[in-house]
Amino acid sequence: MSHHDCSGCGLCLLVCPVWHGTRDVRLTPKGRARAIQHGAKREDLAASTAGCTLCGACEPACPEELPLVDMVMELRSGSPFPEAEVRIQGKKKLLLAGRALRAEPDRLARTLALLEGYELAADDGADIVEALEAGTTIADERLAAFLASLALARQVVVAEGLLLRALRRWLADASVRGIGETLLPAISAKLRAGDFYVIASQAFNCDQPRLIGRYDWLRATSGCEMNLDLQRIAMPVAGQARWILEGRRVERIVVEDLAERAAFDFAGKPVLHLAELA
Amino acid sequence: MSIGPDHVAPDALVGIPRQRTNAGRWVADGWSAFRDSLRAQGVGLLEDAATRGIFATDAGGTAYGLPHGVVIARSAAQISSLLKAAQTHAVPVTVRGGGLTTEGESVAYGGVLLDMTGMSNVLEIDERALTVRTQAGIFWSALAERLRRQGLDYLSAPLNLTSSVGGTLGVGGIDVNSPHLGCSADQALALQVVTPTGEIVECSDTENATLFQRVILGYGQFGVITEATLRVRRYQPLRMRYFYYASLRAAIADLQMLDAEEASDYSGILTMMDKAITLLVAFDSDEKEARFERAFLSRLHGAGEFAFAVRTAIFYALRPWRWREALYLYRRKSVLFPEFRRPEFHRGGKMHDRTVVFSRAVWKHWGRRQMVIPDLATSAEKFIEAVERGNEVCRRYFPYYTLYCVGIKLREDHRTHYELSCIPPDARGRAYGCEFEPMLGDAVYSRDTLQSFKNEIYDVGVALGASYYRFGGMMKGYIRRVFGDQLVEHHLTMKRAADPAMILNRDVVF
Ligand SMILES: Cc1cc2nc3c(=O)[nH]c(=O)nc-3n(C[C@H](O)[C@H](O)[C@H](O)COP(=O)(O)OP(=O)(O)OC[C@H]3O[C@@H](n4cnc5c(N)ncnc54)[C@H](O)[C@@H]3O)c2cc1C
Ligand code: SF4
Ligand code: SF4
Repeated sequence: MSHHDCSGCGLCLLVCPVWHGTRDVRLTPKGRARAIQHGAKREDLAASTAGCTLCGACEPACPEELPLVDMVMELRSGSPFPEAEVRIQGKKKLLLAGRALRAEPDRLARTLALLEGYELAADDGADIVEALEAGTTIADERLAAFLASLALARQVVVAEGLLLRALRRWLADASVRGIGETLLPAISAKLRAGDFYVIASQAFNCDQPRLIGRYDWLRATSGCEMNLDLQRIAMPVAGQARWILEGRRVERIVVEDLAERAAFDFAGKPVLHLAELA
Repeated sequence: MSIGPDHVAPDALVGIPRQRTNAGRWVADGWSAFRDSLRAQGVGLLEDAATRGIFATDAGGTAYGLPHGVVIARSAAQISSLLKAAQTHAVPVTVRGGGLTTEGESVAYGGVLLDMTGMSNVLEIDERALTVRTQAGIFWSALAERLRRQGLDYLSAPLNLTSSVGGTLGVGGIDVNSPHLGCSADQALALQVVTPTGEIVECSDTENATLFQRVILGYGQFGVITEATLRVRRYQPLRMRYFYYASLRAAIADLQMLDAEEASDYSGILTMMDKAITLLVAFDSDEKEARFERAFLSRLHGAGEFAFAVRTAIFYALRPWRWREALYLYRRKSVLFPEFRRPEFHRGGKMHDRTVVFSRAVWKHWGRRQMVIPDLATSAEKFIEAVERGNEVCRRYFPYYTLYCVGIKLREDHRTHYELSCIPPDARGRAYGCEFEPMLGDAVYSRDTLQSFKNEIYDVGVALGASYYRFGGMMKGYIRRVFGDQLVEHHLTMKRAADPAMILNRDVVF
C-alpha cells in the first residue's frame, strides 16, 4: 500500500484537523498522495508532513485502507515504521501514564485508583513517543530495553495515543488499551445529558471498528454528546475544538486525554478529566 | 512554458467533428505580468510543482493537465481580483470544488486552478425559515455535519461526500430522494457569484435572475459561485427496503410507478450488470411506509433477498459455463451487503447518515484511480429504451459493470435553468438518469477503449434526443450534436458577452 493507491476521493479531508484549520489540501493525506503520484519528493512535502498531528482520524476514513499515519511517519523519518516483536512472559498490569498525566499527580493517582490492580510503569517510553512524533531514529537497544520492561505485562493501559498505536503492534500478545476505553465502565454512570465527552483521537482512530459500538452505547445510555459525530467514519479531534462545539449547548466537557483539556478552555465551561468523574 | 497533449483536440473523438471556440491552446503568454499583478494585490499564487501536481487530474483519472499556478479561494474579493487580472492578461481560470468530475471538466490545462474548498464555512442557519447560507466550496458532508447539530439536513446531494456545494449547483446533484425533492441545483434560493469580469453579484429567481439562470447548471461558465443559500429540512433517519429483479425493464417500470405515485421518499436502482438488479426504496416516516405497504407493495414485481438468491443459484446451476459471473456476483454481494448494513449507522432498524453509508460504499466498492461513468438522462417515456441500449453497450465492453438509475423531479418554473444542462429538454414532471459504470478493477484498458465506450453510450443519447450529466470536458464534442447549433450559439453569445477574454472554465463546454 502506498501513496500511489490513493484514489483521491478526499474523505480524509473531512476528518483531518489540519484541513479544518487551514482548508489547504496540500496539508492532507490526499494532497500528499496526489503530489507524490505526480512526482513530488519527500523534501517537497516536508511542511505538509511536519504539520500532521498524527491523530489518525484519516485512517478509518480512507476507503483504500491506506496506513496513512505510518506513511506520514515514514515521510518524516525517511525510514519505515520500526518493527519489533515481544514475547509476553508475565501477568502484570501496567499503566504507561505519559507526559500529560505524569505532570498532574492528583489526576494520575485518581486514574491509578480506578484502574484496579495496575502498577505505574517506571519507563513509559516518553522518549520513544517523541522520536516517533519527530521522525528521529530510535536506537535498537533503547527500543529493546523499553519493550523488555513491558514483556512482563499481560495488560497494558497507555495514555499516549501514538504509543498505544505502536504497542498494539509491538505487543501483539498482550491486551493494550487506552485509558478512555478502560475507564468507561467506571465512569459511564456519571455522564449525563449536557456533557460533552471528548474521545481521545489517537486511541480511538487506531481501533475504530471495535470501539465505535462502545461509544455509541455510552452516548445512548448517558445522553451525553461526543466528538463522534455524524460521519463516524473517524472522529474530529480536539484541535478542532471550536468547530466541534459550534452550535451545541454544552454544560460540562469531559476529556479522555489530559493533553486535550486546554483546547476547550475557550468554551468557559468546566473541563474535567474522565478520572475526576468517578 | 509549453502545454502537454490536448485531450479535447478536434480529432480526439474519432468521426465526430468538433467546432473550436478558442482559437488555439493557451501558451502562457502574459503569465509573468499576470503573476506580478496578483502579487501586487496580495493574491497568493502557488507555483511549485508539488502543489500543481495535486490538481493534475480529477476523479475520472483519465484527463491530465497541469495548471501554471494554484490559488486557494479565501474570499469573493480575492476571487474578484483574480478574475479581473485574468481578463486583463487573458489567463484561463479553471474552478474546482471537490474535483469529482470524470471528464476533466475541473482539470486545468494551463493557467490558474482556483481551489474553492478554501471557502468552506457555514455562514448562517435559519432554523425557522429552514435555510442555510454557506460558502460554496464546502463539501456536502461537512454541511450535513453542521446542520445535524440543529436537527437539520440538506435536501439532496450527490452520494459521494466530497463534492462541493458550488460544483454541484453548477452541474446538477442527484440523490436517491431526487425523484421527490428534485436535484440540488433546484434547491438553491440565492447565490453570491463572482462574474468572469470580477463583479461580485447576489442573484436569485427574483434578483439578477438571468445570471442566476445561467450559473445554476451552468458548468461554471458564467461565474464562480462563492456563497449559496439553500433550502434545508428536518433531519430524519430512514427505513430502507430492497427488492431484487432479474429484468431491467420490470425494475424500471416499478421504479417509475412508485415515483409517479409518490409512494416512497427515496428510490433508485443499483445493479450488478443486468443480472442482479436492486430497487431500493426508503421512507422518512412510518406513515409513508405503511401507505406503501397497503397500496403499492403487492404491485411490485421484485423478489425478496432469499427468493432472489435461490432463483439466481438455479439460473447459474443450469449454466455452469458462466461460473465466473456467478462467483463475481456472489463475491460482490458478500462485500456490498454488509457495507450498506453497517451496524454503527443503524438504530432501531433505521439508517442514520445515509450519505455516509452510501458514499463510503461508493468509494470503497466503485471508486478507483480511474473511473469512467458515462450516463444518459431522458424523459420518463424514453428511459427504459435508453437503459437497455446502454446496457447492451456495457455488455460488449466489460465483463462487470453497474447501472445506477434515479428519477429527478423537475420544476416547471425552472425551465430556463435547464437550458443546455443535464435535464433533457423534452422531460416533463420527472426526468430519469442512468449511469453506466464499468468495474475496471485491476484490468488495464486503453484510453481509446474507454473513450469508445463512452462515445457509444453517448451515441444512444444522440439517437434518443437525451441529455447527459457529464457532457463537458472530454465529451464536449457531443454538445452540438445533442443540443443543436442554435442553442449552443445562443449560449456562446451570452458567454462571450459575460467573459470577453473567455477565461473562465474555458475548455469545459465551448
Ligand atoms: C464516485 C463518484 C460518485 C458520484 N456520485 C454522484 C451522485 O450520486 N449524484 C450526482 O449528482 N453526482 C455524482 N457524481 C458526480 C459529481 O458528484 C458531480 O460532478 C459533483 O457534484 C461535482 O461537484 P464537485 O464539487 O466535485 O465539482 P467539481 O468537479 O470540482 O466541478 C464541477 C464543475 O463545476 C465547476 N465548479 C466547481 N466549483 C465551482 C464554483 N464554486 N463555482 C462555479 N463553478 C464551479 C468546475 O469548473 C467544473 O466544471 C459522482 C462522481 C463520482 C466520482
Ligand atoms: S493523522 Fe490527523 S492530522 Fe495527520 S493527516 Fe491524518 S487526519 Fe490529518
Ligand atoms: S481517503 Fe485515502 S484514498 Fe481517499 S484521498 Fe484520502 S488518502 Fe486518498
